[in-house]
Amino acid sequence: MSSIEQKLKNNRLLSLVIVTYIVLGILMPGKALQSLNNSLYYIKEMLIIMPVILLLTSLIEAWVPKKSIEKALGEGSGFKGSIFSFLLGSFSAGPIYAAFPVCKMLLKKGASVSSIVIMLSTWAVIKIPMLANEAKFLGPKFMAIRWIFTTISIFIMAYIISRLVKKEDIPSDDTLNNEETILHINEQCCIGCGICNKISPDNFIIENRKAQVIKKVVKSEENENIKTAIDKCPAKAIGYKD
Amino acid sequence: MDIFTIILWVITGSWFIWSIIKDKKRTLNSIKMSKGLMGNMMGEIIGILFLIGLILTFIPPDTIKQYMGNSNAFISTIVSAFVGSMTLIPAFVAFPLVGSLVKAGANIVPVVAFLTTLTMVGVVTFPLEKREFGLRFTIARNSLSFIFAIIIALLMGVVM
Repeated sequence: MSSIEQKLKNNRLLSLVIVTYIVLGILMPGKALQSLNNSLYYIKEMLIIMPVILLLTSLIEAWVPKKSIEKALGEGSGFKGSIFSFLLGSFSAGPIYAAFPVCKMLLKKGASVSSIVIMLSTWAVIKIPMLANEAKFLGPKFMAIRWIFTTISIFIMAYIISRLVKKEDIPSDDTLNNEETILHINEQCCIGCGICNKISPDNFIIENRKAQVIKKVVKSEENENIKTAIDKCPAKAIGYKD
Repeated sequence: MDIFTIILWVITGSWFIWSIIKDKKRTLNSIKMSKGLMGNMMGEIIGILFLIGLILTFIPPDTIKQYMGNSNAFISTIVSAFVGSMTLIPAFVAFPLVGSLVKAGANIVPVVAFLTTLTMVGVVTFPLEKREFGLRFTIARNSLSFIFAIIIALLMGVVM
């Protein structure tokens, strides 16, 4: 596939909108201009808020001690576990499916079902950088009230689900500690951040916005770079599989 | 610039300066990662922003007000919640779109329902979630999230 075709496929919405504008520009130039003008305000606002959100996300990623929160979360459940999973969800980056493997790992380490519900839901709806964006476009009051209601709902939901679902209901896949397992990326979870490629360009590349393993590596050949990449992957999408 | 954005810039800016002084490499690495994350969404973000212009031009505020305003808030809330469950666009992109609808006169109850189910309920990610956590957990979490999204929306309508 040519690279232009690939770009079009990756940006379906954008391509569609551009085509609409071109057609409109030919048929009804007035309307096209009016639409551009209408968009201008939102583009300007987005340009003001985007860099600061990018920066905030990076700073949270760099300085919030997620590793120690994860550790504390694994050891005990109860009220402390709920608060820790709430924090972890609030300070994470990426879409909800990026949270699945992280939660799975925490479950294995001993986190409770209610902690996992809290973390998944917080991860989905109330991340700090998202709150900033919401306040920008819908107003701080709207954001604050929705935050309060959502937080309360999440804790109630966690309680109900922990009553309905026991830990035994959740399938556990034992990651084999076999030396023969092969390095593998769970493509559905990868968010294409490119961090593994930067850490270990020999082993990972980004193709079509997803990371891929370049060559076959078995567990016994694991080196420091691969270890770091597995550890740093924000979606916990890198692992071994047989 | 509104006061909120200024405060956000000041806080983030000072944190950034502190971060650069404390550990330059760590800061820059982390920025690179977020840039990759955002870069993936860039096309969608720009697309939605230009789409807003089209919507506002072709669907006049009066029509938005009529359909998403006062008429039958309950039904439009349920519909919005379903639409939100089905779509998988980043919330980051949804806020300007939804903001423009509210400005044009849309009722906030359906809007909140949409925003909440958009991120919390995932029909598209259902198989993935089921594989990781099992059917029971996935059904319980998604359906409860849907119900609570509507409750949150109705409460927001009362308070705001």
